[in-house]
Amino acid sequence: MSSEGKVLSNIWHMLSPVEGGIHPREASRHHSDIGPGIIKRSLEDAGVSHSDIQLVAFSRGPGLGPCLRTTATMARTLAQKLAVPLVGVNHCVAHIEIGCLESRFEDPVTVYVSGGNTQIIAFAGGRFRTFGETLDMALGNILDVFGRTIGMSFPAGPSIEHAAADGVEYHQLPYSVKGMDLSYSGMLTAAKKLHLEGVPVADICFSIQETAFGMLAEVAERAVAHTKKNEILLTGGVARNNRLTEILEGVAERHGASFHRVSPPLAGDQGAMIAWTGILQHQAGDELPISDSHVMPKWRTDEQDILWRCRF
Amino acid sequence: MQILKKQLLTLGAESAIYIVEYWGMTLALKWRPRKPYIHNEIDKLLRTSRTSRECKMLTFVRTLGVPTPAVHSVDIRNHLILMDFIEGQQFKQLVNTSSKKRITTLCHEFGKLLGIMHMSDIVHGDPTTSNAVVDMQSKMWLVDFGLAEKNATIEMKGVDMHLLRRAYETTHWALQETMLESTMEGYVEISGDDAEAVLSRADEIRERGRYH
Repeated sequence: MSSEGKVLSNIWHMLSPVEGGIHPREASRHHSDIGPGIIKRSLEDAGVSHSDIQLVAFSRGPGLGPCLRTTATMARTLAQKLAVPLVGVNHCVAHIEIGCLESRFEDPVTVYVSGGNTQIIAFAGGRFRTFGETLDMALGNILDVFGRTIGMSFPAGPSIEHAAADGVEYHQLPYSVKGMDLSYSGMLTAAKKLHLEGVPVADICFSIQETAFGMLAEVAERAVAHTKKNEILLTGGVARNNRLTEILEGVAERHGASFHRVSPPLAGDQGAMIAWTGILQHQAGDELPISDSHVMPKWRTDEQDILWRCRF
Repeated sequence: MQILKKQLLTLGAESAIYIVEYWGMTLALKWRPRKPYIHNEIDKLLRTSRTSRECKMLTFVRTLGVPTPAVHSVDIRNHLILMDFIEGQQFKQLVNTSSKKRITTLCHEFGKLLGIMHMSDIVHGDPTTSNAVVDMQSKMWLVDFGLAEKNATIEMKGVDMHLLRRAYETTHWALQETMLESTMEGYVEISGDDAEAVLSRADEIRERGRYH
């Protein structure tokens, strides 16, 4: 990433288990196995050498402890070896900042949906605050778990979207919105039950999408109405879904807000978002001494003062 | 109160409120319009059930001593409720203009009202400072009962208290500790020994969202 916000290279690799979900130990092993190769390839891709690196940023949290520690170790080593500053970045904040870079949005309500997160985040009082979130499972996780039940491979979101296109009949599923929070686990149980009862897969996928996305749209809409912000940013792995995008476009239109869906290469988890946020943070004077650079697996989004956004 | 009328005419997340003259009275008309981007069956079900629920709950909690606007008429098919118009200010806005002492008093009252509802196994479902209105005599009224539920369990009450805390965090960050403390005092004053189970459940719920 250049300091002007140009992505020079953005190489990523995702662990895809043959069966089952992500195991923390396997995931951290995956990170340490392929990490060094990825760093090497990204330098080649960007056409820069080690000596061109002026700053090393790493994802400090939130996330799975073993995975965070593996990449933090690589980041510390790199920063020390190159004698450049180290910056610890919040994963959720990074999703928002890379989305703002791409969309040129200044102050959006962000809908961040992935395998691990379902959050509605907006900037208020010097920090990014979570206005709403799931009280149990993340949206991407629901799609993956249901997909696995019916024999789809990981990640199941795209297959569910594909199947849903042939769905004709809507089957009612539990719709659980609590203030600006929501809950998905009841919907998952009910969807599994429909499958056991022999309801066509296409109809279940269709019903899951309409219900899950409808709930998400409602909490997003509550956040927009509440904060009176006029930009909506959709990001995270599930941002790829076209039906979800269509629904949120409808919300934006109703409230006279602009809408942007972050493009797939920048919407999923990747390094460019960490690098870019690291640059913003460092430009605002932030630097993390190696001795204090422990990871923070449960780092809340609203625990960090967002110094570079003090103009808002 | 021109300003208030204008604010209430703003489009909310799921409804629009109009100030209307009816039989010589100034009343509030709450309308849940269709959302074309939501699947029609879901949209219809939500608008119908929430309109019906709101009417029942507004009326029921008033019998418990919680001030709510009286319902004058309902049109379930068109998702309309005609109710009293409470002349006053949203608690949310008052927080920005009131003294700390007054905010503390209002939070205490807010906590008491939630306590009264919880003691009768009712949850509000969206207990934010946007949904409390303070009238000219400093009396607090609760509004927006579309997400309220009866036969509430400890889990449901815990969610209510979690949402209240979340609202303070996101909207009144500078005063959140003081506000939470006085609200809890009011809540415990009413619910006594029953409060502990609910409040510890609320803490647990807060930790559940994976990344908080």
